[in-house]
Amino acid sequence: MANLFSELVSNESIARAMVEQHGSPLMLLDCDKLASQYRQLVAALPGVRLYYAVKAFPHAAIVNTLNQLGAGFDIASTGEINLLRSEYVNPRSTIHTHPIKKDRDIRDALRFGCSTFVVDNHAELKKFRKYGSRVGLLLRVSFRSPDCAVDLSKKFGCQPDEVPDLLAEARSLGLHVKGLSFHVGSQSASSSAHVAAIDACRELIENAEVPLRILDIGGGFPVDYDNAGDLDIDSFCAPIRVALSRLPKDVEVFAEPGRYLIAPACACIVSVVGKAMRGDQPWYYLDDGVYGMFSGRIYDHARYPIHVYRNGPTRASALVGPTCDSIDVIEEALELPELEVGDLVIGLMMGAYTAATATTFNSLPVPRIVVFAEPARARVAYIS
Amino acid sequence: MTKTWNETLYDAWGQRHDIDKVYFEFDTGHQQLMIFHNALFGRVMVLDGVVQTTEKDEFIYHEMLTHVPILAHGKAKRVLIIGGGDGGILREVCRHQSIEHVTQVEIDKAVIDMAIEYLPNHSAGAYDDPRANIVIDDGCRFVAQCQEKFDVIISDSTDPIGPGEVLFTSQFYSDCKRCLNDGGIMVTQNGVVFMQLDEVKTTAQRMALTFSDVHFYSAAVPTYVGGIMTFAWSSDNKALRHVDADTIRERFKVSGIKTRYYNPDIHQASFCLPQYVLEAIGKTDNN
Repeated sequence: MANLFSELVSNESIARAMVEQHGSPLMLLDCDKLASQYRQLVAALPGVRLYYAVKAFPHAAIVNTLNQLGAGFDIASTGEINLLRSEYVNPRSTIHTHPIKKDRDIRDALRFGCSTFVVDNHAELKKFRKYGSRVGLLLRVSFRSPDCAVDLSKKFGCQPDEVPDLLAEARSLGLHVKGLSFHVGSQSASSSAHVAAIDACRELIENAEVPLRILDIGGGFPVDYDNAGDLDIDSFCAPIRVALSRLPKDVEVFAEPGRYLIAPACACIVSVVGKAMRGDQPWYYLDDGVYGMFSGRIYDHARYPIHVYRNGPTRASALVGPTCDSIDVIEEALELPELEVGDLVIGLMMGAYTAATATTFNSLPVPRIVVFAEPARARVAYIS
Repeated sequence: MTKTWNETLYDAWGQRHDIDKVYFEFDTGHQQLMIFHNALFGRVMVLDGVVQTTEKDEFIYHEMLTHVPILAHGKAKRVLIIGGGDGGILREVCRHQSIEHVTQVEIDKAVIDMAIEYLPNHSAGAYDDPRANIVIDDGCRFVAQCQEKFDVIISDSTDPIGPGEVLFTSQFYSDCKRCLNDGGIMVTQNGVVFMQLDEVKTTAQRMALTFSDVHFYSAAVPTYVGGIMTFAWSSDNKALRHVDADTIRERFKVSGIKTRYYNPDIHQASFCLPQYVLEAIGKTDNN
């Protein structure tokens, strides 16, 4: 059966019908694609418990789809907890992964029933003292990975040589550190950083004076923005599987995929609302831009595959958003055929860190989201 | 597959109940309340992943939180209950014919209604007792504004992580003190000490800001898992903790109350705390 988005790009009438019905701009969420991404990653990482990083796109339909598939959830705020609660997620299937928390955040998570927390420093450990046996902690370790699109080991994570000290302090505070976690960064070019980090953690686990029974290998599982094709996740994970097989057999492995699960499951439809020649280059003004669904262009350093429904000679063209700010540029010089006002433009791979970071700058509303829930062939769409 | 419910109070360990039947389920998005039947414990009420009360073992908790302060006081006429929406404390208080008035402040009327319908043996008709005045209000706000005085105040709250959080604050304790007659006693549920040692420390420190005599007494309640549960005890008269056995026996006899857990010997023994608890609250002995 054809995939929703491949039909969308091959058949303009589908996009037209959606805009006719729901308006423009629109975000489309395909829950079937989300489910297939989840199944692919489960198959590529057998035995690894997957916790969806809710921050990538906090949405009820996404949580519901993954919850029914048996996924866990990686949460970082009380707002995310409220979303999970409204979808009846078992709190024991959640881990709170923000390394820096207010006391209120801890209490809210505990009240929800989430008892696994991530820490990476002494001050954070002390915050947990009064919660004693209520909590189990993961110690986040930093491994720098310069070849990631987003390096997450700069802001968070203790150095590997700090681990023994932090474990000793936790013990003296009466706290249970039950494992280690790391996050090599987002959109990794290869899995070598994961492998190196797993190997380093294996040594830390083997040398620790207390049993560490969980290793959380974070996220960083990449998607293919360039070709909008399906990157071979099985090959990417093969070296990770080998590294994991060397862990002591009692160690349970978690991962926190966000982008990999949701990026390919969303597309957007925007409209050309204006055009002008600036110098010798055509500029097309769209009804959504980097302050809206294309916010990941700024915050996530992502470039999304763009599709238009015209053929003909192409030239370097600018695609820009509707706000008054000059930073609101989606593409500065993208090869495009000539477009007209009223044309529809499709953005693909738009699920991760897009709607999640959209703003209402210029008092422009956040685009509506059209959910295609299972089964996709029935095209059960609803606005959320 | 058997339906089960797992308590989420502790990360690494906890109790599990097989669910025979669900009587009541309520999810506000902020609170999840359920009452189900378990073969060993009868009807079990759980809130946000934590057991609140069960039909089979509630008598231990309710008798100890009620009869110990009332019989130690000896002349109590007026009792204030904070929380306790299931009605178990009210039931035990009302069994004392010598009590002339009892005010219960419960924040959520729905809890009382639900308990009357699904846990009828907890209140056992006590909500119809003419001596009972039921106030629907925030317990913290009530004691801050209250102009009445009481001889015994009983705080029957939830876990401190949850809606009962404010009932573990220094402000609440000092407001309660203001509502006590001279010679009054305040008692509160204070969790399972082996599992939550820090909470005993915190309560002892906060109560000591207001009361000259702070101690704990204990009882083991099966579904408050992890060992003995502690009840905080505070007054300005240390002698109230050391009323002699004969006096307690006489008062208990006069009350005519039949109990299943409480008796005068248990009363006295319950104030003897294990060494690790004494150390946690900075005491060297049980005096």
